[in-house]
Amino acid sequence: MSPFKFPVINPLLHNELRLKIMVVLDSLESADFMYLCQITDSTRGSVSSQITTLKDAGYLDVTKTGMGRISHTVCRITTKGREGLRTYEDGLRRIFSQEIPSPQQSDSCAYRSK
Amino acid sequence: MTELDIISRTRSEVLSHRELTGENIFLAWGYPTAFFLLLEFLALELWNEDWCAWLWAGIPVVGIPLMIYFLNEDYERTHRRTLDQNVILVMWIFIGFASFIGGLSMGIADVFSQFYCMFQGLLIGMGCFMTGIILHFRPKTVCGIIASVLSVVPLFLQGDCWPWQLLVTAVITVIALIIPGHLFRKYVRNYEPV
Repeated sequence: MSPFKFPVINPLLHNELRLKIMVVLDSLESADFMYLCQITDSTRGSVSSQITTLKDAGYLDVTKTGMGRISHTVCRITTKGREGLRTYEDGLRRIFSQEIPSPQQSDSCAYRSK
Repeated sequence: MTELDIISRTRSEVLSHRELTGENIFLAWGYPTAFFLLLEFLALELWNEDWCAWLWAGIPVVGIPLMIYFLNEDYERTHRRTLDQNVILVMWIFIGFASFIGGLSMGIADVFSQFYCMFQGLLIGMGCFMTGIILHFRPKTVCGIIASVLSVVPLFLQGDCWPWQLLVTAVITVIALIIPGHLFRKYVRNYEPV
């Protein structure tokens, strides 16, 4: 039996709020800051800091425009971000779908029992 | 809750709260197009001078600011743009540019009176048909087909009666943009997201 290999999980997306933001933007063409706060049910401060983290990683494209006295922040997912999310989701599916072998079945344990 | 649950729940929440927008864009293009085509027809019938044939250039001058205004209004209301909306927007921007560049080239090449109305009618009809398909809004699809079929009529109005092509194109605009625009507006007003 071939040994089970855990897929590499991207730690950047292994945060609930960051993951939600990425999924929302993956489902839409673009969304503004207010919508992201509303749909993730999070505070402005936490959404803002997670957007900055994702933007620095190249996962989001953030455009700030002035609409009257209020600045308007529009976020879009980048190709790198979309690929990162797909890889992350595939990795999770592989972990949950594959049967993780028990210690007795794994090669290393078989070696020890000898 | 696992990460996979978060992904599926967030995705279904975004998709289920989808509101329909863009109900004014078709009217914002429809009314100026019909108005300037009628104006050009009347001007040609009254004065029959070369400058009258360029009145169609007023369509983007009025249509583009109106479209930008309504797009901003939609964004302020919903705070997001879906992939479908973006496809429709890009398609109509392309149609607008194609119509403008086509009209300009035909004017310079001196074939405007022969092909422009057919060209514009066909573009509007196709745009209306594809928008109806994307939005799953049947009246738009049907109106797009009717407008596309009617777009061949101007080809049979050549020679001295060519200004009547403009009148036919104005009718095509009413069929493809104004009537389905009003129907879509009514549909959006009564639509409630799931």
